[in-house]
Amino acid sequence: MKILIVDDEPPARDRLKRLIEELDGCECAGEAGNGTEAIALAGRLAPDVVLMDIRMPGMDGVEAARHLSRLDEPPAVIFVTAYDEYALRAFEAQAVGYLLKPVRKEKLADTLQRAARLTKPQLAALAREAAPKRRRTHLSVRMRGELRLIPLEEVLFFLADQKYVTVRHLGGEELIEESLRSLEDEFAPDFVRIHRNALVAARHIASIERSGEGQYAVRLRGHAEELPVSRRLATDVLRRFRG
Amino acid sequence: MNSQSSDSASTQPPAFYLPDFCATPTVLAVVLISELVAIVLTLARQELEHGFWIDLARTSLFLLWVGLSSATALCYTRPLLARLSVARASAISLALPVAVTLLISEVTYWLGKTRFDGLEPGVASLFPADHASFLLRNLIIAFIVTALALRYFFVAYEWRRNVEMKARLRIDALQARIRPHFLFNSMNTIAALTRSNPSRAEEAVEDLADLFRASLKETRGRIPLKEELEVARIYQRIEQLRLGERLKVSWQTDALPMRTLVPSLLVQPLLENAIYHGIEPLPAGGTVVVSGERKGDVIELRVSNPVHDQAGSTPHSGNRIALDNIRERLELAYPGRARVDVASSATEYVVTLTFPLVEPTADAVE
Repeated sequence: MKILIVDDEPPARDRLKRLIEELDGCECAGEAGNGTEAIALAGRLAPDVVLMDIRMPGMDGVEAARHLSRLDEPPAVIFVTAYDEYALRAFEAQAVGYLLKPVRKEKLADTLQRAARLTKPQLAALAREAAPKRRRTHLSVRMRGELRLIPLEEVLFFLADQKYVTVRHLGGEELIEESLRSLEDEFAPDFVRIHRNALVAARHIASIERSGEGQYAVRLRGHAEELPVSRRLATDVLRRFRG
Repeated sequence: MNSQSSDSASTQPPAFYLPDFCATPTVLAVVLISELVAIVLTLARQELEHGFWIDLARTSLFLLWVGLSSATALCYTRPLLARLSVARASAISLALPVAVTLLISEVTYWLGKTRFDGLEPGVASLFPADHASFLLRNLIIAFIVTALALRYFFVAYEWRRNVEMKARLRIDALQARIRPHFLFNSMNTIAALTRSNPSRAEEAVEDLADLFRASLKETRGRIPLKEELEVARIYQRIEQLRLGERLKVSWQTDALPMRTLVPSLLVQPLLENAIYHGIEPLPAGGTVVVSGERKGDVIELRVSNPVHDQAGSTPHSGNRIALDNIRERLELAYPGRARVDVASSATEYVVTLTFPLVEPTADAVE
């Protein structure tokens, strides 16, 4: 069983690594210091289990688990935490469960056993449950079996097509399988709906200009192209950005 | 320092010390006080075998009228009194029963004079004959008894408030000091070091023991500043094991008078907050600055930490508990002479403690 250890504290990683090495059939595939590193490594190493600290700088463990669940072969995520009563409450219903620091060897072995028996759909369901409706700091895009993270600050806008949503960001453009509606719910008020098919990052809006009789368009900072504002939403958008 | 938001440790105006005179227990107390005063007055005036009971009944009737009317007056004016300063409210609470006494004495006198004058001597003797002397005596007695009662209520209130405050401080202190997150993470670090670096693990256990000993000391204890800073450094050593390179602490405290006495655990909770809310959320870590200086006869201590840019502006409740606790303990130690100021900007969070310098000879270490 390949295990990835994620914790921001070196001594905590060392201890878990040593415990794993003492268990039969388990090996430590790698170590990461925060959520973003964990996602990069998980794509490359394809671990069976991720031992994930919850409170970490940068991306925390809960969000990282949510992104990991979107991999083709998602690992079982076991949360490891010192004391975080709020986070624990959210995971109590979970089958894979969580471990408390300092972790006992027998408990670790038990939990790993349990994780190994879970099927892929079960894992995906658990990950969805484990991640409460909190806003993410990154979006994840699947690329050749790995996850690529896009920091939310770099997203310019989302554009809905027939079936997919295109996300345009400072580094390019990707397709994601999320609905515009759920993105709007999660990221309001930082993202504004300007059209039935468009959700724009408020921080990147440069100006809103008249583009015809009763028509308006949003101009983005550092971008030539303009996005049309729908007639129905024009008053709301104007009120917000012109005060 | 340019403080953007500051709040000093000022005592909020205490709630008024008088009990609620509309409540049954207080009314009962008023009745009891009236009866006791009646017994004392009657005992002083009458031989036990000659007319004692008659006199007691008469005095009781009069005093119950006075007592219950005063209670009614105080019951209705209490909401108003609670808004005034303690001195002014006390003066009014003293004047009200005296005025009520005056009124009832006057009514009694005129009742006796107009209604029962010329009746048989037995009944007439129940009423006072000398107007001025009757009023004057009653006023003086009312003044003394009311003053004594007010004093009693005030002392009882202060005592209760003190007991409550100490109990609350003790609980707050425990919560503020032994943060579970810190305890379990330290245990985890020690568990890791036990095999990889046993001598370091040993030191960590010693440090943890010292830290807990310091935190379990009596809340009111004062210790030399040198010791207080040492406790904070022990705390830093434990966190350093866990956070490694990410945690840097710059100590700029050489200019402080190290022998001055301070309430214990002033600096450590601030350092703990700075690390928990400031350093830990930063992937690359940062530097906490602990600095201080003497300005005339006050000491200024500052703890500052970098701010995580997207941490949001909501102050953490854990942070507030620790700050409130320090504020209360400083207020207890130096009433009205200490301040806790918080200044936060987009990049930095600074807490400044200002309190008077206490020479070590002023009072010994408790």
